[in-house]
Amino acid sequence: MIRKPISKVRWWAFSIAAMVVVVLLYSWMSYRQKEFNPKDTTIPNATQFLEGIETLTKPDVNGDMWLIMDLRATYGRHLAGMLVGVILSLVIGLAMGCYTDAEAIFKFQLTCLSKIPPTAMIAVYFVLFGTELNMYVAMISLGIFPTLAMAVYQAARKDVTHDAIYKAYTLGASDSEVVWNVVFKQIIPRFLEAIRLTVGPAMVFLIAAEWATADIGFGYRLRIQSRLLNMNVVYIYLVILALTSYLMDWSLAYARRKMCPWFGE
Amino acid sequence: MPFALKIDEVCHNFGDNQVLNHVNLKVGHGQFVALVGPSGCGKSTLLRAILGTHPPVGGNIYAHGTEITRPSCDVGIVYQHYSLYDFLTAQENVAFGPMLDQTNLWFRIFRFWDFFRMYRGWMEDARQLLNKLDLEKAINKFPADLSGGMKQRVAIAQAIIMKPKVLLLDEPFGALDESTREDLQVMLLQLYQENVRARDRGEMPPYTVVLVTHELNEAFYIADRVIGLSQYHGNGFPGATIVFDQPAPVFSPTAPRNFGIFFEQKELLRKVVFDEKYLPKGDEFVTFWNQYEKLHGIPADGVMPKSIGTVVDGPAITTIKE
Repeated sequence: MIRKPISKVRWWAFSIAAMVVVVLLYSWMSYRQKEFNPKDTTIPNATQFLEGIETLTKPDVNGDMWLIMDLRATYGRHLAGMLVGVILSLVIGLAMGCYTDAEAIFKFQLTCLSKIPPTAMIAVYFVLFGTELNMYVAMISLGIFPTLAMAVYQAARKDVTHDAIYKAYTLGASDSEVVWNVVFKQIIPRFLEAIRLTVGPAMVFLIAAEWATADIGFGYRLRIQSRLLNMNVVYIYLVILALTSYLMDWSLAYARRKMCPWFGE
Repeated sequence: MPFALKIDEVCHNFGDNQVLNHVNLKVGHGQFVALVGPSGCGKSTLLRAILGTHPPVGGNIYAHGTEITRPSCDVGIVYQHYSLYDFLTAQENVAFGPMLDQTNLWFRIFRFWDFFRMYRGWMEDARQLLNKLDLEKAINKFPADLSGGMKQRVAIAQAIIMKPKVLLLDEPFGALDESTREDLQVMLLQLYQENVRARDRGEMPPYTVVLVTHELNEAFYIADRVIGLSQYHGNGFPGATIVFDQPAPVFSPTAPRNFGIFFEQKELLRKVVFDEKYLPKGDEFVTFWNQYEKLHGIPADGVMPKSIGTVVDGPAITTIKE
């Protein structure tokens, strides 16, 4: 039957089995590839992966490790961009949701901006903000800004009823208290959910920008190593990207559960 | 002392559609007034005007002598769909009003410890009020975890902790099942009894209520005065006005729910207010103040010392006669 619930044991059994199948399939493909060409690096085996890890963690001539340098550069840019984007979106989205003047000013512009892929605007950011950190921060923050601000705006409009606002006034709230104590607190869970959904796209914008313009970072490293067909390095970076994205997503979900127990699952 | 609520020549229209016309009403302190009328007659428009969210196009509305131009603590509201704040527990919802009313954002940030001490006091007040309304078990629950009846009790507590001059109840039991509705009706009668006791002590009655409802039995059972707003009248102008205003029986919370007592009055109301073919003229059925003044004189202080309707007290039924 559709949507029939299953036991937890069955759930985990299926999940682990699917993972084992993928690993076995990969191992078999890697083994077959090695039979044709023992020096092949497109489908690396365990030994090649260990070599990849060694490459990433071996200090270069300056004593720096690729992995640490790339982690610091990429996640520093990602965090700064997200932070600026989140604050900007919250302020503008809340203003739009609470004040019709702000809605009139920003809604059309945001709708237009959201239709342009941020990666297509790299040249614009390059011209406006240079090639350093500012460009990546601008790209990520302005990339996630339309979606996130519209999410905040929609939540402020739809999740907070007129009745709730009118009642707040009858309880003695001022305009700023209605915004902070009623509207903002009501939309926190939706806001955190919207941030969760933008973590992935923000990383896509960043990797694309680093791929094109950077001399350090995950995007840059993936570009160089892909050209050299060093898939043992590429796959490791992809795994790190997946794990860190999962960790960020889980942290935001956890924060939502802890901060807004009233919202449910 | 001014009336708890005074509506003076209120008119309202949406474009060419005249909704309210020549609406005049005076509500004394401690009265429970039920407002009924056909769908689309402008009850909600009048309610919003009293609340201050949608001021009328013409005329004025005063709560305790102060003109209402925007929502304020003078007028409380309980909506049909509760409108509790999802992110606050029942107790926090009730304490929310005093917090907003007595402090501002800067006070809460820069004088945190003073605020914290005050907040504990409001939470204690909220706890006591919730206990009084039989909500001891709901105190720490979020609205999503409460039944409809419990939510509506919390909403009423949230409104009355502010001690508004006028409390508006906008079809408050419309979304509840029969049994819960009856429980809450009794709860309102208990609040009315507090008014009676306050009057007996020579104090100002604490609750003045305007109840909007579609249930005619509910209107006569809870209120001590029933008002019919209708667009069906022969007064020669468009829009709805008050065509019925009469005293209603006063039930005690322990009295049997004997709706037969007001059967004739209800049938009259049905004809005068809801019948499209029957067009009452002038103040033929707007007799509340005439009857009141006959008994008590003009209430210059705006406080209603005694009911003028039938008093249904406990199992016995008595009628106050002139």
